[in-house]
Amino acid sequence: MNVIQNPALVEQLAASYALGTLRGGARRRFEQLARAHAHVRAAALIWQSRLACVAELQPQAAPSAAVWKRIENLVNAEKQARAMQAARTPVPVSPSRWWAKLNLWRSLAAAGTMAAVVGGVVGTHLSAVNQGLGAQVAGLDGQIKALTTQLAAAALAPNIQYVAVLADNNAVASVLVTFDQKNQKLVLKRVGSFQEQADQSLQLWALPTTGGPQSLGVLGSDAVVRLTAAGSDVRQVPTLAISLEPKGGVPSIGGPTGPVLFKGALLETAL
Amino acid sequence: MKTDSLDTELIALIDRIALADEKALRALYDLTSSKLYGVAVRVVSNREWAEDVLQEAFITIWRIAGDYKATLSPPLAWLGLVVRSRGLDFLRRRASGRADRMQALDDVISDTVAGDSPNPMDTAQASEQALALHQCLSQLDNKQREVVSLAYMRDMSHGELAQQLKLPLGTVKTWIRRGLEQLRGCMAKLA
Repeated sequence: MNVIQNPALVEQLAASYALGTLRGGARRRFEQLARAHAHVRAAALIWQSRLACVAELQPQAAPSAAVWKRIENLVNAEKQARAMQAARTPVPVSPSRWWAKLNLWRSLAAAGTMAAVVGGVVGTHLSAVNQGLGAQVAGLDGQIKALTTQLAAAALAPNIQYVAVLADNNAVASVLVTFDQKNQKLVLKRVGSFQEQADQSLQLWALPTTGGPQSLGVLGSDAVVRLTAAGSDVRQVPTLAISLEPKGGVPSIGGPTGPVLFKGALLETAL
Repeated sequence: MKTDSLDTELIALIDRIALADEKALRALYDLTSSKLYGVAVRVVSNREWAEDVLQEAFITIWRIAGDYKATLSPPLAWLGLVVRSRGLDFLRRRASGRADRMQALDDVISDTVAGDSPNPMDTAQASEQALALHQCLSQLDNKQREVVSLAYMRDMSHGELAQQLKLPLGTVKTWIRRGLEQLRGCMAKLA
């Protein structure tokens, strides 16, 4: 093979290869030569690194400030997704019953929402891990306070001990739940835009660690819904969920029949 | 040397980015975005698209910073390659479904090739190797330099260059061959 014994030709081919103007069959033949002969490969690498410097010589220009903002948002979203993935517990789940799969999002909700909501209620600043949820939660913080005030005004100073933010699959907060143990009142406030059809109802479920979901009641169409629940139904329950059901809720005693729309961890709060 | 300390700083930042350090990404952006935006503008010839390319490039850097160590390249050259390849991807995506693969060249490039005004090169932040390349490129005449630089930055073939620059194919081939030959002689002396 003459090419490899001709240093000038090897250089010329290596330069065209690195520049990108060596194309088609000639390029493939050069690649074969480079794989077989170290000095050909070396020449190609040297030219690649030389020409890479062309980029360094381009005139500078200032991008608009929006570019960094966009990069920052994407990076934060990615970081959050990674953190959530890391928080997933590798619990084997049965595909037949949907609530078995809830283990997955229980841990998600626990990892994501808990720190943020507790932080909001207690009034401390939000965990840096939850920057994405931060804005939402900041808004909810105000609503929690408003609800608390409302309830306080309703005579018997309430003793809210539990709170949950139920979010949809995109982690958008949709329903805010507080449970006043003393008065056995569950207060649900819709904070998202979801509105069920006229022939449908939303139904609230407690998801205990053992056994199937327990219905806590069916929601009316008002923005704020009050339900009565025994403390024993709510305490010790790690998670609440809302499913979409036929009007009036699931007719039988069994578990939910429709899709779960919103879910979230139930947290004990120190008020 | 000033460039050496910049390189050291950039390498340290890339290492920290590999460990998912956002502050390091911000610092890298502050140090290199003007340069890299210039590269993106050169590849896609449109300032708005170049911002999209710059954004994609930094997300890529965020994801693959761990790969940098294996490359042995000066950091800015590596970053430039990331931007160039995102820019070329951008042009390919945009061109798919359209007849004309290449984006029309901007006025500066056309003027440079048509006349004799040099398209300015910028040596701020340039690594030692880039300074050597700059010195050698400066010895080419403007047209040759522009065609070589364009072939590389845009990944254009002889045919595409001829079509875009409205030059005979033979002329383009000759300019590039001579340009590369001169570069080879010059770089060999400096190495």
